[in-house]
Amino acid sequence: MQGVIDREWIVRKTLFTLAMMTVLGIILIIFFVAREAIPAFTGAGPANLFSATWNPKSGQYGMLIFLTGTLATTVGGLLLGTPLAIGSALFLTQMAPRRVRSIATRGVELLAGVPSIVLGWLGFTIMVPWIRSATGSTGTGLLAASIILAIMVLPTITAIAKDALEAVPESHKQAALAMGATRWQMIRRVLLPAAKPGLLVAVILGMGRAIGETMAVALVIGPATAFPTSLTTPTHTMTTKILIEMGESTGLQRSSLFAMGLVLLLMAMLLILLVRLVTHRKEVVR
Amino acid sequence: MTKKRLGLITAVSLAVALMLVFAAAGCGESDNGTAQPEEPKLSGTLNLSGSTTVLPLAQEAADMFMDENPSVTVNVQGGGSSVGISNVAESVVDIGNASRGLKDEEKSLGLVDHEIALDVIVVIVHSDVPLEGLTADQVFDIFTGKVTNWKDVGGPDQAINVVVRDEASGTREMFDEKALRKEAPMAGAIECNSNGIVRQTVSSTPFSVGYISLGYLDSSVKALKYDGVEGSKVTAVDKSYPLSRYLHMFTRGEATGLAGAFLDLVLSDGFQNDVVSQEYIPMTEI
Amino acid sequence: MTTDLESEVKTQETQPRVDLAGDVCEIRDERIEGIIQANITRSERRAQLLDRTATATVWTLALIGLGILAFIIFVILYRGIAAALAPGFVFGKPQAMKEGGGIWPMVVSSFYLALLTIAIVVPLGVGAAVYMTEFAKEGRITRLVRFGADSLSTVPSVVFGIFGMVLFVIYFGLGYSLLAGALTLALLNMPTVMRTTEEATLAVPRSYREAAMGLGANRWETAKKIVLPSAMPGITTGIVLTMGRIVGESAAVIYTVGIFVRKAPTSPLQPAAPMAAHIWHTYTEGALVSDWMRVANGEAAFLLLVVLALNLAARMIARTYRKRLGMVN
Repeated sequence: MQGVIDREWIVRKTLFTLAMMTVLGIILIIFFVAREAIPAFTGAGPANLFSATWNPKSGQYGMLIFLTGTLATTVGGLLLGTPLAIGSALFLTQMAPRRVRSIATRGVELLAGVPSIVLGWLGFTIMVPWIRSATGSTGTGLLAASIILAIMVLPTITAIAKDALEAVPESHKQAALAMGATRWQMIRRVLLPAAKPGLLVAVILGMGRAIGETMAVALVIGPATAFPTSLTTPTHTMTTKILIEMGESTGLQRSSLFAMGLVLLLMAMLLILLVRLVTHRKEVVR
Repeated sequence: MTKKRLGLITAVSLAVALMLVFAAAGCGESDNGTAQPEEPKLSGTLNLSGSTTVLPLAQEAADMFMDENPSVTVNVQGGGSSVGISNVAESVVDIGNASRGLKDEEKSLGLVDHEIALDVIVVIVHSDVPLEGLTADQVFDIFTGKVTNWKDVGGPDQAINVVVRDEASGTREMFDEKALRKEAPMAGAIECNSNGIVRQTVSSTPFSVGYISLGYLDSSVKALKYDGVEGSKVTAVDKSYPLSRYLHMFTRGEATGLAGAFLDLVLSDGFQNDVVSQEYIPMTEI
Repeated sequence: MTTDLESEVKTQETQPRVDLAGDVCEIRDERIEGIIQANITRSERRAQLLDRTATATVWTLALIGLGILAFIIFVILYRGIAAALAPGFVFGKPQAMKEGGGIWPMVVSSFYLALLTIAIVVPLGVGAAVYMTEFAKEGRITRLVRFGADSLSTVPSVVFGIFGMVLFVIYFGLGYSLLAGALTLALLNMPTVMRTTEEATLAVPRSYREAAMGLGANRWETAKKIVLPSAMPGITTGIVLTMGRIVGESAAVIYTVGIFVRKAPTSPLQPAAPMAAHIWHTYTEGALVSDWMRVANGEAAFLLLVVLALNLAARMIARTYRKRLGMVN
């Protein structure tokens, strides 16, 4: 009997250790990224790091250009992607005939599985030339990146929004319909308000995906180390700057790339806290 | 049995299991090195990392080297010039590849420089630019943004689209130093991640100008004379054409053993004339 | 009335164009008189018009979404399939200096990396999930673990990449290698495996556990003999889908595994070049050979085919299991 209890105790502790790996993992990531970023904060200083000028040759490591690029492409991607995603989720849960629904659900899952480098390659070889010939610009920049990001956040937002809409009790919907509401009135007055926290979570997590996306954006953003002056001028985001320059930089320049990584990390964790604030959902993993 | 002792045993067995995994992996590694013990000559593993520009050359050399010495494994990886230099300085790899020379802070690392090829950079324009050449001053003015219209350098009244390499590029490093007199290119210039993308961008963007390695030059773009001199093998070798740079392999201390044998192959007439000369100027001609 | 409505709702679900609001109103119209009636009819009409417009809009949005997906798959395959299926491409040796290169070492790298990562992440993720659903009581610990998992799943993959480079490649001295990449990707994919496993184990009816416990089994025996086998379809599906994610991952791989090799890796400590990372390399350095577009198009198409196949496999596995176990899910 003693042996049995002990074995269960070992198993319990082992499984506990495995579960704690998530915590250990995020701590390790923060620790090692921060460790590499510290020289930038001590050597260049926060004022330098968050300035608008990036010119390593003269010791200027400002990340404002990249921060702007990240925020602008994220907002653009969400503006284009959210209506599509919420529309798709409404379609899947409220309107689609059963057979269409199962095919469309699979389609959304497939879209989530398309590798971002493949999407970026498509953007670079097809979409950028289109924008180029339509606008007479280089074709790269915020517009191209926003379109790509809209496609990337579409499956994320759709899937979570679908869950949120499905979680609204059937009785609520029936009550609305019984009172003579049309389907749209039911959706607008009952369904959407009831699912609002879930929909917000969907958009926030979509935002997380957009902020962190690297490869697909890297092929269509330009890049250029300059603030965007229009939707079709090449610019940079934090992820693309890190990706392209990490291997070719030393000293403070490398360190300030890690500082950008740290900012991205903090943004990601802030979004998680935001999600917790919006809803009491215990788990928000995609 | 107390719980504490059990915990200890669990920890130890986990550690042993981990070590076994690593050992097994390590065995696989050394198996490669000693697969054919009857081979009397060289054996072991040679690791290279660094510049993605040098990568194709190094891979080609690695193939030949392994064909000649079947019991040698050569691992070649990218990462970037700075990664290669710091890796070889820290003895993580045996040879560090770089598309640039050592920076000041890297000169004290005790690295020995082996120049393996000469790369010539040519200024290219879109085929609609009716010029045959630019002076060094004109190139400087255009790329630093002091001149923004082709009519100021003898061309048509059209705005100039400037295309440069990204900051991680060794090509850009050389161009900024020699053609731009250590100044940075104009803000808002399109930055491209590779020679191929510069070529494609210039060939598809009207009235654009950029620069690429001679090896990438094809009929889709037009090469310009620089200060009246055409960029070519001949002019680079006789030093009348200034825009060129060496590709490097660095070793920590003098190259001995496997690394020495590998560098012998890279600098041999055969490899230089058959492989290097396909895209670069071989050292044998300098 | 209620039962009628319920059946109406069901019809509506399967046949979206049937508008039940009209029927309901007609019934009501009989009971209401005069001007009120007219007013209501007017607002009803407006509501119905709005309903039709909204329905059309939602259909359009959904069709755009599906259209984008169809377009992506069609274009990638259309442009790359000929190259991908050409003899000597998938099984061919890559070339950096001359035309006609293939991608065999990249194919091997991708699968090697995926299997290695799975070997690390499955014990981690499944173990953690079993702890969460079978052992832990809701409380501070579970909240902490969930926060860790949520954070891991939102960290950008390029940050995973530079973290893996610092910790595994440099600090542990693994160098650019499959193992360094697999460790990085294991951490990246742990939340997904954990979540799919948790979902699958939670779907196992409570009565199964109670029965096992009633027979004297302890928690671990119950988990091992009852819960995990019943949850197997869900777990396997999750693992295969995770493989798809690993194969498609590039940002976390470029600085941990590598971007170009000419020989297929044979040990976890060797550098490798998964397809997704090699497409990036082809984009940045590949233009030294004139057929670089062919290589990238073909590799993108083949990569997409692999991901689609894994998706399909996941679904088939789930379906077969479900049939065999006679589970309704």
